[in-house]
Amino acid sequence: MKFTVCIKQVPDVYAPLQIKNGELSMDTDRMVLNAYDASAVEEALVLTEQHGGDVEVVLIGPDKAKETIRKALAMGAAKGHHIHVEDTHGLDSAAYASILTAFFEKNPTEVIATGKQSQDTDSGLAGSMIAASLNLPYAANAVGLHIDGGSSLVVKRQGDTGQEMLALPIPCLVTCSNDMNNPRIPSLKGIMASKKKPVETHTLEDLGLSLATVRDSVKTSTISYQEMPAREAGKKLEGDAEELVSSLMNLLQNEAKVI
Amino acid sequence: MSAILVYISTTGGKIKRSSLEVLSHCRDQATKNNMELAAVVLDNDAAAFADQLQQYGARKVYTVSNPIFKSHLNAPVTQALLQIIEQVNPRVFACASTEGTKDVLGALAAKTGGAALPDVANFEVTADGVSALRPVMAAKILSQNTASGELVLVSVRSGSYDATESPTVADVTDVAFTPADFAAVLREVISSTGDKVDLSEATVVVAAGRGIKDEEGKKLIDDLAETLGAAVGASRAVVENGLFPATAQIGQTGKVVSPELYFAIGISGAVQHTAGMSNSKVIVAINKDGDAPIFQMASYGLVGDLYKILPLLTEEIRKAKSA
Repeated sequence: MKFTVCIKQVPDVYAPLQIKNGELSMDTDRMVLNAYDASAVEEALVLTEQHGGDVEVVLIGPDKAKETIRKALAMGAAKGHHIHVEDTHGLDSAAYASILTAFFEKNPTEVIATGKQSQDTDSGLAGSMIAASLNLPYAANAVGLHIDGGSSLVVKRQGDTGQEMLALPIPCLVTCSNDMNNPRIPSLKGIMASKKKPVETHTLEDLGLSLATVRDSVKTSTISYQEMPAREAGKKLEGDAEELVSSLMNLLQNEAKVI
Repeated sequence: MSAILVYISTTGGKIKRSSLEVLSHCRDQATKNNMELAAVVLDNDAAAFADQLQQYGARKVYTVSNPIFKSHLNAPVTQALLQIIEQVNPRVFACASTEGTKDVLGALAAKTGGAALPDVANFEVTADGVSALRPVMAAKILSQNTASGELVLVSVRSGSYDATESPTVADVTDVAFTPADFAAVLREVISSTGDKVDLSEATVVVAAGRGIKDEEGKKLIDDLAETLGAAVGASRAVVENGLFPATAQIGQTGKVVSPELYFAIGISGAVQHTAGMSNSKVIVAINKDGDAPIFQMASYGLVGDLYKILPLLTEEIRKAKSA
């Protein structure tokens, strides 16, 4: 089975950050493979190791983002596609989805996999946007995948009150949760091998698009950033267990009146 | 008159509280902007919810009844919502952010050509679209976003608004719906044992973190939850080590909850977790590390050993409940 995983290079959200005049500034320029996408790569690798097939990855971004394609190749993907857009600033989920839709129209695959959301914006839209544009069956927030008889992908997804087990005929699209697996750390051998693996560059024009048409597909914009409003701390109680429980019961019953 | 269309989610024969929160906020927005408030509900028996939607001020109610809505499947939900959106032609489509709506929002945006603002903490309808605040960067900061165009789709985090009634009389339309042949097949829905109370709808949540180290600790959590009639939640750490099911995970990558009362037990309060519970009304934290960040947001913080505190607390609550 052929998997093509859409991956994104994102800022390291765990690095310290500041807001200055409504603008976001990160303490480091460290860019990483989106963690949810890493889970999608890992799952595709595990399934093709078990059942045969190939894993390719596709990324939209500047030349610098190629390091993230190399990371996925070092994990074990066979080939990378780099859709070169030097300045992605201001592109929203709709714009990314329109580029990837055009890519998949020219480069069909069996299973499109991607992270359930991007860890910088947490939007979680692009997957179902691409599936809808390509008229593919899809499932979001997958926590487990397996292949059933070569013609369908069985997806376990985390729903609101339980887990839903779906069979998707191929071709299909799936978005992956990071609860699915622990992505492998590339081995030294994997890193060396990744340097010889092919990375095909596509321009927007190759896909029948242009930066202008992509910018026209943008529907939302980020105006500014602000601090999270902090919750006010309440009462901190110390003492032995009996004193603590008795004080808490008094507060819950007489002050908060919730019990 | 242009309209705001609110998609109402149901669970176990009830409208989700988070949907009523969105409906209440949209009612205010409709009044401010001289728009009409419409609601759509998809369910096996959708007509049963029309009365309650009028209580919350919907002027038009569209009910789509079909057995296919007994379980969540994205294709029929998308098909039905596209049909209603075409019929109502709203300027704004709003819904509560749930795993069910996250599954369809992008598809709805792609099919309608609308602009989507997912998982917002608040939003306002403006002259040419919608302005919204969204938590980003692992919920460390908020971004101010705008969307313009003929249709803007918004999903709202649970607990962002209060659900308030404002009774009116609505036009109720029962919409005929014929599901298309869907490629995807739902094989089964697996409910975990932790699902006795629906976590995202619960009014009381007892959540466990890294301080719960073993089955004995898990039993203390379950006992407290059962005594309170609460849902059990968990931080990522105790889901990963297998003590609690993935359905229980609360946080940026799990569920967002906003109960009246939240117990954070043995949870340090990393932002990845608090992103999923900071809208709770009253937060009780129990942790032996007095410097844990959870104490900066707890209404009541208990510094101590949860293995000693929980049995006493469960006993006192049992006494209070039976008194």
